[in-house]
Amino acid sequence: MKRSKIKMNIITNKRKLKEKIFLITIFILSFLTILPLFHILISVFVKGFPVLIKGGIDFLTGTLPPPGQELGGIGPAIVGTFLLVFLSSILGIPIAVIAGIFAYEYPNSFIGRGTKLLLQIMMEFPTILVGLFAMYIVVVPLGTYSAIAGAFALAIIIMPYVAIATEEALREVPKDYKEAAYSLGLTKSQVIFRVLIKIARRGILTGILIGMAKAAGETAPLLFTIGGSTRVFFEGIDKPIGAIPLLIYNLVQQPYENYHQIAWGAALLLLLIYLLIFIPIRLKLREIKI
Amino acid sequence: MMANKRFKLSLLLILSILILLPMCAEKEKKYITISGSGATFPQPQLEKWITEFMKEYPNVKIEYYGGGSGKGLNDFKKGLVDFALSDPPVKESLWRELEKKGQVLQFPIIVGAIAIVYNIPGVDDLKLSKDVLVDIFLGKIEYWDDKRIKELNPDKNLPHEKIIVVHRSDSSGTTEVFTTYLSLISDEWKKKVGSGKVVDWPVDKLGRGLGGRGNQGVVAILKQTPYTIGYVELAYAIKENLQIAYIENAEGNFVKPNKDTIKEAMENVAAFVPDITRGYEEKVEMFLNAKGKNSYPIVAFSHMIVWKDYPDEKAEVIKNFIRWIMTKGQEDKYIVTGYVSLPTRIAELGLKAAEIIE
Repeated sequence: MKRSKIKMNIITNKRKLKEKIFLITIFILSFLTILPLFHILISVFVKGFPVLIKGGIDFLTGTLPPPGQELGGIGPAIVGTFLLVFLSSILGIPIAVIAGIFAYEYPNSFIGRGTKLLLQIMMEFPTILVGLFAMYIVVVPLGTYSAIAGAFALAIIIMPYVAIATEEALREVPKDYKEAAYSLGLTKSQVIFRVLIKIARRGILTGILIGMAKAAGETAPLLFTIGGSTRVFFEGIDKPIGAIPLLIYNLVQQPYENYHQIAWGAALLLLLIYLLIFIPIRLKLREIKI
Repeated sequence: MMANKRFKLSLLLILSILILLPMCAEKEKKYITISGSGATFPQPQLEKWITEFMKEYPNVKIEYYGGGSGKGLNDFKKGLVDFALSDPPVKESLWRELEKKGQVLQFPIIVGAIAIVYNIPGVDDLKLSKDVLVDIFLGKIEYWDDKRIKELNPDKNLPHEKIIVVHRSDSSGTTEVFTTYLSLISDEWKKKVGSGKVVDWPVDKLGRGLGGRGNQGVVAILKQTPYTIGYVELAYAIKENLQIAYIENAEGNFVKPNKDTIKEAMENVAAFVPDITRGYEEKVEMFLNAKGKNSYPIVAFSHMIVWKDYPDEKAEVIKNFIRWIMTKGQEDKYIVTGYVSLPTRIAELGLKAAEIIE
């Protein structure tokens, strides 16, 4: 009797030990996964924050200085990034939402399946190729770099995110609502736009915000499309414009310390814009849980 | 409905920022915008000139987008920008294509040099002769304490360590100038490797070569890895405080790149720069290994490429800008560290261009 009890004890101890080892391994591995993220956040804050303090309000409204000591500002890039996000949202989101609805409503038709597959491919499409495409479609015919060309490229990039989010959000709506709506005699468009979209709006909104964050952070599609102004703020949507990611890309290639500082400050600003877009998303998701 | 409200609010916020920011920044100013793109090497210098020029001409805005010599010329050809900067002179085939659209003008705007930089702790002012330099990059000299390096540097304490060669991994005008120089001083290099924006580095096959992206990448590797040698634009070598080697010039003297040695080289080759309307006749090798007692052998021009004809208001601005660069812009206080101003003879070419633009 006693013996077997001890044996049992050893076995349970072994199992407990195994569990502990497993948990610790998982903990260490997940810590390693998020480590780079924290490293990026912290180093951007540590290096960017003093620049923002030193530059003050001029950093937000000024223009690029020559190499040397001055910090100047990144005003045109900030204006450009906001304008690009806005324009690309106007161009991309309506089409994307409608494409998402189509893929949801006709999941078994040839076009519906094709739409979804193509959207998924588009999501992983190299963004630099989108930039080249926009260059030949918009920049060359217009004969100048322009904000609209950049917005066109960005719209192509954000569309699949918004469309797939829309489709998935709609699919999560319980079928009962749809059936109830039809039984009340509503037409198809009324069911979709008056009932389903309203229930699924959180999911769709999340998709839209992810798309906008994507548009704010992309560099490659802007390389051949917007030019990259550093002195001119805004002359019209058919004229060149700046953008924060592109500015960072250009500045870090130069050997000058003040350019690197400006790049860090711009990186922090970009990060703040990102958080500004992402924190609402997290709050939204929590609301759904409750 | 909360979400909808918040969404509308944030949209409103973005919109208002969008409309307000440009308005408070510009205040209905009337100005003319000129744009250019191209080489990144002269970009810091150009940014400096543009800033100073705009102080004197507040009704003008000049934008420079960078992106590389190739992109600049392509943009210029497509009419996306008003001027282009290019490190290598325009090739004849492209020049002919451009001429179909109108008369093209090309002239040097600034001088740069390529420094041979290395990292041997405790060994400054290393001297390298032409054949030793070539053989290091060919991989024939394997150790830093090789007999031939020792002979040139008898008083230096050279370590018995393998030489690691750092080169550019991306397509680069710097590589083109440097390999053209090596081809010029060594037939063996010319036959085995040749010159170009990208070449097959013999040291890579020996396992002693490392590639870095951009000047910045080469500098980073060089700083982290002892016993390395590489080539970068002078501005980077100075900014990053790298050890710069003395190189043997055409007359057998050992020289470091600095304002005087680069200027002397330029004085000696100024006559080779072709007329502004025949820019395609210029070749990179014309300016390498220049004669002169203290001439630094690896120097290159950055060029500006413009049209002869512009719309009225733009023509005036471009004329003024070029004239300003060639006169005031060449004064020491407007020259960024690492660059060297043009010899007067060459600055006159730019002034001539400013005269005939209309």
